[in-house]
Order: sequence, then C-alpha cells, then structure tokens
Amino acid sequence: MRAFVDIRARLLLAALLPLLVVSTVLVSVLLLARLDDMQQSYDQRNRSVASQVALASEYGLFSVNQSQLQAIAQGGLRQADVRWVAIVDGGGQMLASAGDPGNGLLHPMNPLATQGFDVKRRLDWFTQPVFAGSLEIDDLFEKNTLIEPKPRRQLGQVVLVFSRHAVDRRAHEMLLAGGLISLLGLIFGMALAIYLSRGVMRPIQRITQLTERIGRGDFEAVSQMRQHELTREPLQALQSDIYRMADRLSVAREDLEQQVHLATQALLEKKNEAENANRAKSHFLAAASHDLRQPTHALGLFVSRLAQLPHDAQTGALIDNLEASVRAMQHLLDGLLDISRLDAQAVQVNKRPFPLSVLLHQLTQDLAQVAQEKGLRLRIRQTDYWVMSDDTLLYRILLNLVDNALNYTERGGVLVAVRPVYGTGLVRLQVWDSGIGIAPEHQTAVFAEFYQVANPGRDRTKGLGLGLNIVQRKAALLGHPLQLASHLGRGTRFTLTLPTVAADLDAPALPALETTSSQELFDVLALVIEDDLLVRSALCGLLQGWGLRVIEARGLSEALEKVADGTMPDVIISDYRLHDEHDGIAVIGRLRSELGSSIAACLVSGDTDASVMRSARAAGLTLLHKPVRPAKLRSLLRNLLQVQSGSSLVDLS
Amino acid sequence: MRRYWRCLCWALALSLGGTAAQAQQRVVIVSSVGSAAYATMAKSMVEVLASRGVVSSDIVQLGASQMAARLQSALSLQPLIFVAIGSEATQLLSSARLSVPVLSTLIPRRNFERILQSAGRVPGSQLNALYLDQPLRRQLALIHVALPQAKRVGVLLGPDSAFELPRLRSLAAAKGLTLRDAEIASSDALFAGLHRVLEDSDVLLAVADPLVLNTLTIQNILLTSFRGRIPMVAFSQAYVRAGAALALYSDPAQVGRQAAVYVLEVLRGNALPDHAIEPDDFEVEVNQHVARSLGLSLDAQALRLTLRRLENLP
Repeated sequence: MRAFVDIRARLLLAALLPLLVVSTVLVSVLLLARLDDMQQSYDQRNRSVASQVALASEYGLFSVNQSQLQAIAQGGLRQADVRWVAIVDGGGQMLASAGDPGNGLLHPMNPLATQGFDVKRRLDWFTQPVFAGSLEIDDLFEKNTLIEPKPRRQLGQVVLVFSRHAVDRRAHEMLLAGGLISLLGLIFGMALAIYLSRGVMRPIQRITQLTERIGRGDFEAVSQMRQHELTREPLQALQSDIYRMADRLSVAREDLEQQVHLATQALLEKKNEAENANRAKSHFLAAASHDLRQPTHALGLFVSRLAQLPHDAQTGALIDNLEASVRAMQHLLDGLLDISRLDAQAVQVNKRPFPLSVLLHQLTQDLAQVAQEKGLRLRIRQTDYWVMSDDTLLYRILLNLVDNALNYTERGGVLVAVRPVYGTGLVRLQVWDSGIGIAPEHQTAVFAEFYQVANPGRDRTKGLGLGLNIVQRKAALLGHPLQLASHLGRGTRFTLTLPTVAADLDAPALPALETTSSQELFDVLALVIEDDLLVRSALCGLLQGWGLRVIEARGLSEALEKVADGTMPDVIISDYRLHDEHDGIAVIGRLRSELGSSIAACLVSGDTDASVMRSARAAGLTLLHKPVRPAKLRSLLRNLLQVQSGSSLVDLS
Repeated sequence: MRRYWRCLCWALALSLGGTAAQAQQRVVIVSSVGSAAYATMAKSMVEVLASRGVVSSDIVQLGASQMAARLQSALSLQPLIFVAIGSEATQLLSSARLSVPVLSTLIPRRNFERILQSAGRVPGSQLNALYLDQPLRRQLALIHVALPQAKRVGVLLGPDSAFELPRLRSLAAAKGLTLRDAEIASSDALFAGLHRVLEDSDVLLAVADPLVLNTLTIQNILLTSFRGRIPMVAFSQAYVRAGAALALYSDPAQVGRQAAVYVLEVLRGNALPDHAIEPDDFEVEVNQHVARSLGLSLDAQALRLTLRRLENLP
C-alpha cells in the first residue's frame, strides 16, 4: 500500500505544488502592489490636503488672522484621517491648531515640504510651507525695477498629522481577502487534484493488485478483474493490455503444466522401464546364479574328492587344472552372487573394532602364492591399528583390490600399507601396484558393472569386470571413502579411509580364519540333508575324505528315520531348499527338538534371497552359499564344533 | 534774375537737403526689452514723428544690447537726440557720456533718480525723463471724482515712496481729503501697516514701491483691501485686472506721442525741458466686477473725460 501512497502523494504534489507556488506568488505580488498603491494614494491625498490647507492659510497668515486660521485648521481636521492641524507663522509660533494635542507634533521651520511617520502611534505627519502666492502682473513699474527678484517669502507652515488607522485596516482587509482567496483556491485545487487522482489511482491500484496476484500464480484474478472493466476510464488501454497479458500468461501456464505432466508421465514410464529392467536383471542374476550354483557346487566338491583320491602326477596335474578351472568358475559365480546380493540389499553390515593385522595376515596367506607364481613382489606391511568396520566385508574388499592389482601388474609388485591421517583419527589403507595403470578417461568407468578396461574379447579368465563395482558398493555400505589414483604405465593406488579405534584388548579375538589341519574333524558324525543326488554324493564323499562319518538324508522324514534309533549327529548340514517343501531351517529345528539338543548346524543354499539369510540369522544358523568352497566348509565345521565347546561364532559368508 | 534766384533756391535746397542728408541719424531710439509696451511706445512715437516730417531714415531704433555694442565699438552715432525707452536703456545711455540730449521714457521716477545717482549725473536738459508716474494731483482728482464719498485716503508707503508723503499731504488737504498714511520698512510689517491704513480709510491709493507692491504682495493687498471693502486706486492696468477697482495710467501710445513732441522740439533746435516731465495723457480703467461688489458704479470713459476737463484738456 505504501506504493499507492507514494504515487498518490506524487500526483497530489504535482498538482498542488505549482498551484501553491503560483497562487502564493501571485497573491503576494498583487497584494504588495495594491498595498503600495494604497500607501501612495494615501500619501498623495495627504499631501494634497496639506497643500490645500497651506493655500487656504496664506491670507490668514499674511493678515495674521488667527480666527480665520483656526477656522481653516478646523476645516482641515474634518478631512479624512486628519488628527491634528497646526498653522505656524514665519517665526515658528503656532497661530492655530485643531485636533487632539496628544497627536500633535512640531517641527522646525523648513522651506522644503517634509513628511514623516511616527511608527509607535501610527501617525503620518506632513508639513507644508506657506508662501506668499505670486501674482504675475504685467506692470511696467514692476518690470522697471532693477532690484533682483525677491526670493519667495515663506509666511509660515502648516503641519498636519494623519492617522494610518484606516489604511492599516484596509491593508489587513486586503491581506485577509487575499489569504482567503488563495486558501480557497488551494482547497479547490486540492479537492480537484484528489478527485482526479483517484480516477487515475483506482485503475493503477487494480492493475497493481492484478499483477501481484498473477505473480503469485493466481490466474482467476484476471476473470475477476474483468468484471470491473469500465469504458472511458483513464488508463483504459493499459488495463485491457494487462488483462490480455494475464490471459495469455494463464494459457501459457496451462500449456506448460500440460507439457510438464506429459514429460513427467513419459519419465515415469521410462523410470518404470528402467526399474523393471533392473529388477529383471537382478532376477536374472539371482536365477542364473542360483541355477548355476548346484552343479558348480557339486563340481567343486567332486574335484576336491578327486584330489583326495590317489592319483599319479599326470592326473595330479589334470586335477590341478580342473581345480583351477573350478576355482575360476566359482570365483565368477561368487562375483555374480555378490552383485545380486548387493542389488537385493541383502548384505548386512556388522561393524565392530578389530585389528587390521588379522586381515593383513590372512591376505598374505591367501595371495602370497599367486604373487609368487606371477613373479611379483607382494609386500603387506603390518600395523597395530584397530579399526571400526565389518571385517568380512573389509576383507573381501581388500582381497579384491589386491587380486586386481596382481592381475594387472606384469612386473614389480604390490604393496599394501596403512597410513594414519594426522589429526582426524582415520587411517588410509592403501593398495599400491606398479602395474599398467588406468587412463584418466577410464578412472570413473572402472567402477561400473561389467566394465573391463582392456578386455575387448571378454576373456573370462580375466574376470567379469564386477570386482571394482562390488568393491565400491561394499565400501559405500561400510561408509569408507574409496579413492583411485593412477598413471598409465606406472601404476595404480587405491585408498580406503577407515576410522580407527582404540585397541580393545578385551574384545573377543577373531578366530583363526583358516588352518590346514584336519585333525579336529576326525570321526565327527555329520548329518547331511540334501535332495540333489549329485550334490549329496559329492558332499558326502568330501566329508568322508576329511575323516567324518556321514549320515545322508533326502529330506526331513528320512532324516528323522535315520536318527530315530538314537544316533546323535555332532553337526547337521542341511540344504535350505528341500524338495518336500520343508525349508532347511525348519528341518534343523525339528531335528534339534527331536534329538533334544541344540546340535551345531549349518545351512547351504543357492538362494541369494535376503529373506533366506535373515531367516538363517534369526534362527542362529550359519548360511553357506553354493558353490561352497571346501576349505570354507571345513573351517565352518571346525568352528561349529568349537562353538559347541564354547567359542564365538563368525559368519564367514 | 528770376532764374538766378531759382538757381540759388535750388542750391540752398540742395545744400539743405545735403545737410539734411548728411544728418541721417537724427533720432536714435534705444529701447529696453521685456515688454510689448516699449515697442508700442516706439511705434507711436515714430508715427507722430513721421507725420511731422521726420522721415524714417532719420530714426534709428536699437535694442539696448545693440546700443551697448555700438558704444563699445565706438561706432559713433551722432543724432540730435537719444530716446531711451525703459530703465535698461536709460541706464545704458546715462552711463555713456553722450554729448547729445537723452530723453528717457517709460521709466518710473524713482528708477530714473536712482540711475542718475549711480551714474553721477543730474537731470537736466541733457538728460531728462518722461515719467511713468501719474501726477499725484491727478490721482487725487480721480479719487475725488470717482469716489466723492470717500473722504479719507489711505496710502501705504515704503522706502522708495516715502518722499512723496509731504506732497500727498498738501494735495490731499487741498482737495479736502484726509490722508491716512503708513510707512513700512520691511515686508513683515506690510500687513500691519496695511491694516492700520485700511481701518481708517475709505479708499486705498496705491503708490508704486517695490517693497509694498510686488508680485508677492499684490494679491494679499488686494484681498485685504477688498475684504475691507475699500477700493484700491492703482497706477497700472494690470492692477485693475488683478482686482483693483480703479487705475489711472498712461498708455504707451500716449507716452510715445508725448515723447515725439519733445523730440520734434529738439529736432527744431530747442532743448529738452530741464524739469521732470509728467505724462499729459492718461487712461482710466475700472474693474466692473470689483466695483459692483463694492457697490460702486463707475464709468471709466466718463471719469477720464471729467479728469481731462478738469485739467483743461480736450
């Protein structure tokens, strides 16, 4: 509203100020002129009255006729504004006077007519000298005289005092009148200005409101305003233009909304498509990895069994190759498994403090041989730092990184080191390699799924290209920033930043991840529940090769039959998905209740379904994923048996 | 014989004529400036002279300044007579030592005497004047004739006119009139004197005196006398016009005629009279309005005739 006040104020000011100035100037100029004129005419009148009195007094002064002079003085007094008259003779003696002596004053004889003004009493005084009037007569006697012409003889003077009262009153009247007129003029002008300005202000106000509302997006304002449209209003053209503009804006907005709506819909469709595609992919991966799991699992077990059997060197070499192939296959499948689990958000993060040294040690064990075979140096610097993280996931990350490093390095070596970041309580876990490096343009892309920098032929011995993607996702899950630095031809460095914790010596020590001894498993009775023949036979054979005694069952009922005679297995290994629709957890649970003891058990499954893992965890059962690495199985069994005798449980999956 | 006589006459006439021709400027008229009266007077004089045989070539008319120039340049004029008209001319001619008689005209008596005094000369046949002033007896006669009921004559005299008093007194007594006189020494005493005179007079006789009667005083004196209902007998036409009841004066033409007579006398070889010459012809003027307001009925012509008869003049 302040804007309106401003505009209106301006309009009024524009109208009034010139009016004010002009009227003030005019009135004052005219008044002053009139006052001046009045004063002048008053003075003239006074002077003429004085002259008249002087003329009239001439003879009286000549003849020193005081009565005549007195009469003249009285006559003078009767003139307008005269307050006092005095007639003075040549010697300065006052011969006659009339009027209030209080108003009187006398001045020295002066041949010049003078006047003055007594401010206090507001009286004008005039003196007029009285000269003997000269009468020009054409007289020879006069002309003949050789005496110099006589100067005019002053017979006396008359003094008149006038009152300014009437003049003052008239002046006041004039001032009042002038003031009144100018005031009226101003008021009239103001009224007119206000009236006219309102006529202009209203449309402006309306338009301002309209634009405000349009600015806020309220387009109905346009239709409302239309009702007020009047013809022959000032700013008519402006108003109709604004309405038209508002209309167009409104239409345009609707158009835009429509377009946005369409675009959004299209995007939505695309998103759905993308999501569907993603889900399909995940499904496919899950399905594929699941379907591949059983045979691969069996294969691995069989090969291990084969390795246990006596064989000659040639067969041994073949078995080695087989094992390598199987390992490769399992590795690939593991990668797919990881991906699908990450996609299914089935990975559970279990953060706790642990010493890095454990992981590093394991790393050395796992990869020393690989490095040696390739002729590379693998240096892993030990450290005393403890970190807060999930050891399993972290190990997987490390394993992947170092494995990659070894893969992509031809000469030199790989260094794993831990450096602190001063002042932050963080450490940098770094994997250096002197390999081929990654070009800057690929440095972001390497983290993408199925991306391999130099594998145009998609040589599967070089992996699926999932490694770094998995590493990145796992690092993200853990909340540890992962950085890549690389120079083509010189090497690559991966950095993982971990939060340190104080060494907690009371924390339960991590169990040894792997040993080669099989002594503990000797003569352990294991109950294997698996409906797939191949897998069952493979597994049983393997277990027997490790020295375990095995009871086989296809399902729950068979298992129950087998333990009905009081046989107490030491450990139960059950497949999760059994063909008579009991799931492994239920089976184990049933068996445990039947046998009346919480026998150590574990599940084996090809399902990467998150629900499976949750159920397993909820039941307190370890879940192994197919294809299971024999070594892993063995460690797990040992652990389970140790747990039975009071050690902690670790999920190594 | 007759032929011889005729030749002689012719020779004589010629010689006479020659003489006459030789004596070209016989009369020089020097006139002052300032009034048309001077010219009128000169004109009438010349007319009279002409009618008596003085040819115009015998008469030289000069203005006073011209004359002064002539005198300075010593271009001598040798007329038989100089006629000065007015005070200025008179002063000029009187101060110039002339061997020729000078007749001064249209000059008040007092002025003439003053001029002579300042020039160190005495009036006589070499230098005489035809006064402007009317003889007192005539004035009194006028009063007597015009205002027979007036018995007391008032006069206001000033320093220039005081000398007239004895004569006035005797003349008035002779006529059986009482003279009421007052003499004033300064203009401040004017009204007092006037008042004194007027309150005891029946008629006011104006006597020329610059202190008493001048442009500044005339109005008031007239007013005073009028207010006192006392007629004023003045000595100039102008006064009558201004408000005096009666005036006795000489017309310039009359003066010119009279002067011409004296000039002719001198031209005939006689000398000027050595006594003051008073004007012999005069006019009477009456202000009828004033006379009526004063309750007088006066006839100017009748008064003049009466006065002339009294003087035994036609």
